[in-house]
Amino acid sequence: MFGTWEFSPVQPRMRIARKRCAAGRPGMVGLIMLAPVRAAVAADHGSGTPNLFGGDVGNAIWTFVIFLVVLWVLGKLVWPYVLSALQKREEFIRGSLEHAKADREQAEQHLRECAASLEKARDEASAIVDEGRRDAEILRRKIEGQARQEAEAMLDRARREIGAARDTAVKDLYALTAQLSTEVAARVIRAELDEKAHERLIEESIEELSRLSHTQQN
Amino acid sequence: MSMFGILASGNPLEHVVQHPFWSERGVTILSNHIVMQILAAILLIVILRRATFWVSTDDLLGDLTPRGGRNFVETICAFLRDHVARPNLGDHTDRFIPYLWTVFFFILFCNVLGLVPLDPLTRLVLPFGVGGTATGNIWTTGTLAVCTLAMVVGSGLRENGTAYLRHFFQGPLFIAPLIAVLELIGLAAKTFALAFRLFANMITGHILLAVLLSLIGMAGASSLGLGLAVAVPIVLVSAVFNLLELFVALLQAFVFTFLTAVFIGQAVQIHHGNHSEDAAPEAGATHR
Repeated sequence: MFGTWEFSPVQPRMRIARKRCAAGRPGMVGLIMLAPVRAAVAADHGSGTPNLFGGDVGNAIWTFVIFLVVLWVLGKLVWPYVLSALQKREEFIRGSLEHAKADREQAEQHLRECAASLEKARDEASAIVDEGRRDAEILRRKIEGQARQEAEAMLDRARREIGAARDTAVKDLYALTAQLSTEVAARVIRAELDEKAHERLIEESIEELSRLSHTQQN
Repeated sequence: MSMFGILASGNPLEHVVQHPFWSERGVTILSNHIVMQILAAILLIVILRRATFWVSTDDLLGDLTPRGGRNFVETICAFLRDHVARPNLGDHTDRFIPYLWTVFFFILFCNVLGLVPLDPLTRLVLPFGVGGTATGNIWTTGTLAVCTLAMVVGSGLRENGTAYLRHFFQGPLFIAPLIAVLELIGLAAKTFALAFRLFANMITGHILLAVLLSLIGMAGASSLGLGLAVAVPIVLVSAVFNLLELFVALLQAFVFTFLTAVFIGQAVQIHHGNHSEDAAPEAGATHR
């Protein structure tokens, strides 16, 4: 099979290809460098042996037209959708990340504020409790003092009333005693005494009784 | 790849090269490669349109959550946009990304359609077979590369104006014209390499597969038993090799797109990056 291939000079079609394809010397240099390969695989076109580099400007025109049509149609019908989807997703992800970052910062700020508020509330509550305790203590002392004063005042008043009642009772007792003594003495002595002597005798009796009562009390 | 066809034809190149259906004065009007390109274009437009179409609703999360085919396409598009275009094009990414996406998917569809054995299937209903890899044609890949060259130069001129032309003339006055010639040669070499890399990668795998399968015919010609004995391992190896071809189809579409992005990036950002001839070491390392 491979024996049918033969080393042949550059065929006419390839010369056309070299002229049209090579945009300058580099293309031509490349083709010249590939000459052995080409010679090995591309045999005489006339005998019907396949040409590896087969093709001509017709292929180029078709490729150019098809590629441009594909580029235009996809550019109108497909890529706008893909690109907009990718861009939207990109923006959405970026927006979400930025939003999440902002939310996080805001949450941290709120947390700091809450912690500060909590601390402040705790301090205030503590202050309120302390103040209440102080007020209660003051009130307790005040009420206690008032109660003590009132009790003492009541005691003094009772003492005074008792003393007054006792004095009145003693005086009444003295008067009654004097009267009875006088009557008893008048009856006993049966003697007439003048008014002056009578009063002097009574006063002496009262003093004597008073002295005796004080002596008994002490 | 048509196994029966290869076995019958006896030449492994027969099913790799272009078969003109209609030529006028040496110019191909219609061929299997052209039909495959048209088929790729139609499938590309229909599939991508169906996969990616969505209508904006009030449900923003629903709109932004891709499902099914849209998920598949958008994943590829997002990767190309974020990891291929943006590092090279920066702020210009969204202006050039439709071109890069089109290049990638068009080449990918042409490459992958070349792996589908359409030739024997179409022979069942048509007097001739239609199949093959459109990107296994140097004229096709060359045209795509020239489109990229036009894009590179056009973008450079549009973005930077005369500064783009001036950047070809670097160095002292007596050296500048020489540098300009070298720069132009470099530009042409880039284009040529772009075209030839894709073409060669697409065609070599197919040639190897064709050679492997033709061995069955050669063995079968001597005796039926030998033909069957050779057929079993070769078919298994060919199946594995087809998977490698699928990978290469994807890889070459990516490499073409990547290098296009690099070249456009060099043209539009002549003041930013260093102007080196080989600014794509990654791509150089990945392509075979």
